[in-house]
Amino acid sequence: MTELSDELLVAYVDGQLARKQTRAVDKVLDQDDVLAARVDALKHAHARLEAAFEAILAGEEMDVSNVSVPQVDGVVVSWRTVKVALAALGLAAALALAVAGYGWPVSLPGLSFAPQGSGTATLAVAPPGNWQEEAARAHALLSRQTLEVGLESQANYDFVALQLAQILGANPKLPNLEPQGFRFVRAQALRFGGEPLTQVLYLGAEGGPLALYAKKGDEKGGSATLTEGRFGDVRTVAWSEDDVSYLLAGQGSDAALMRIATRVKLEPAPPMRNDPKPQTPVNSALEKRDEKS
Amino acid sequence: MQAEDFHDSVRPGLIAMLPRLKRFADVLVGARDEGKGLLGRALQFMLAEQHRYQRGTVLDVWAFGEVYRQWLHELREQKDPVGRAKIDDARFGELFYPEGDGYFDAPVIAYLGALPPQQRLTLLLVYGEGFEHDDAARILDVAPDTIAARLVRISAALADRLSARPPAQAAAIVETLYPEGLRGSP
Repeated sequence: MTELSDELLVAYVDGQLARKQTRAVDKVLDQDDVLAARVDALKHAHARLEAAFEAILAGEEMDVSNVSVPQVDGVVVSWRTVKVALAALGLAAALALAVAGYGWPVSLPGLSFAPQGSGTATLAVAPPGNWQEEAARAHALLSRQTLEVGLESQANYDFVALQLAQILGANPKLPNLEPQGFRFVRAQALRFGGEPLTQVLYLGAEGGPLALYAKKGDEKGGSATLTEGRFGDVRTVAWSEDDVSYLLAGQGSDAALMRIATRVKLEPAPPMRNDPKPQTPVNSALEKRDEKS
Repeated sequence: MQAEDFHDSVRPGLIAMLPRLKRFADVLVGARDEGKGLLGRALQFMLAEQHRYQRGTVLDVWAFGEVYRQWLHELREQKDPVGRAKIDDARFGELFYPEGDGYFDAPVIAYLGALPPQQRLTLLLVYGEGFEHDDAARILDVAPDTIAARLVRISAALADRLSARPPAQAAAIVETLYPEGLRGSP
């Protein structure tokens, strides 16, 4: 019988050995039934451990899916946290804001922490509705124009801006968010209450999409100031300007979304977009003259 | 402001890994309710301290480590930390079948329950979570070699136990030393 230690065999079973070592152990196992049985026993033990841990996780996921309105059972502030708060009062204020203002979108039963004097600390996710109902709501936003804005045109930024302006009957902003790390992906026209609604989609290096919605006219109660909102996991910032109502929606942090919304709002209004002039020698000459002047 | 700032904020990441963090806390303290409490306090601390989260650090390594450090911190404040670290077998068993109808591998559960918390966590992190030894070592604040040594010791002992070979009699061991053909020959 070949002498191979449990250290080596466990490393082999765990895939921690180098390729050469693994091949060497493979050869030994082919010829040594005792060692092969030992490896099988180790693998069997690992498999049962994994199954046991999976069973716990299944229970935890069940807990999380049974999201409930958090209990307000007082503050549980550990000394560890108190020390931090004493070390930096600014941090304590930030924590209070984070917990009171934003809270956790989901909470495990009994896992909530409410700040003193606050009625609720967390915002529970509304129970998911019937999927058909949700799909029907989403479908109601689609219009014929949604599909008429061809994907092939999306590469032309100016053309997309022109199409959106035509669809909306106003000049919505089509901000370039590359400096913020979000690339433009596509834009489309939707419909709300029979009126057009545009959606411009961006994607960052990771995470979900960022969308800028625009609709002609000031919303009732709409404000020029940026107003935060939240719908489940989706954070929003809404505002109105130049007869266009905007809604920026994403799943990042509230503060980051607000900064992007501020950046969009500060961007100057786009010039009135007209149909592009056909490329003729005369038009080219006029454009060159305009550029020189 | 970069997209990383937007998406790397700690809170959404923590929310996404809540079930895993909860399992970690439960296995650590050995009971569901205590696990909830521990995780709640750790999350609260992480929220306050999220500025300490360093970009480039894997979020789950940081978060699991914070839960573990929170437990250590609370344990050190106990008058009887050793007694406190002991778990109740029945409540530990409940972790595996929350609704009363689930997986129940009694020998494995009993074995896990008898292990010290750090050893249970080592198994969970490597075999349950799939962490590399280095990351598991960072979480538990030990050397990677310690993780490897624990795994060998625990795995070998569990494999022995699950093999369920009854202890052999001394005479029987001598008997097996001689191949059948040679028995009785001069």
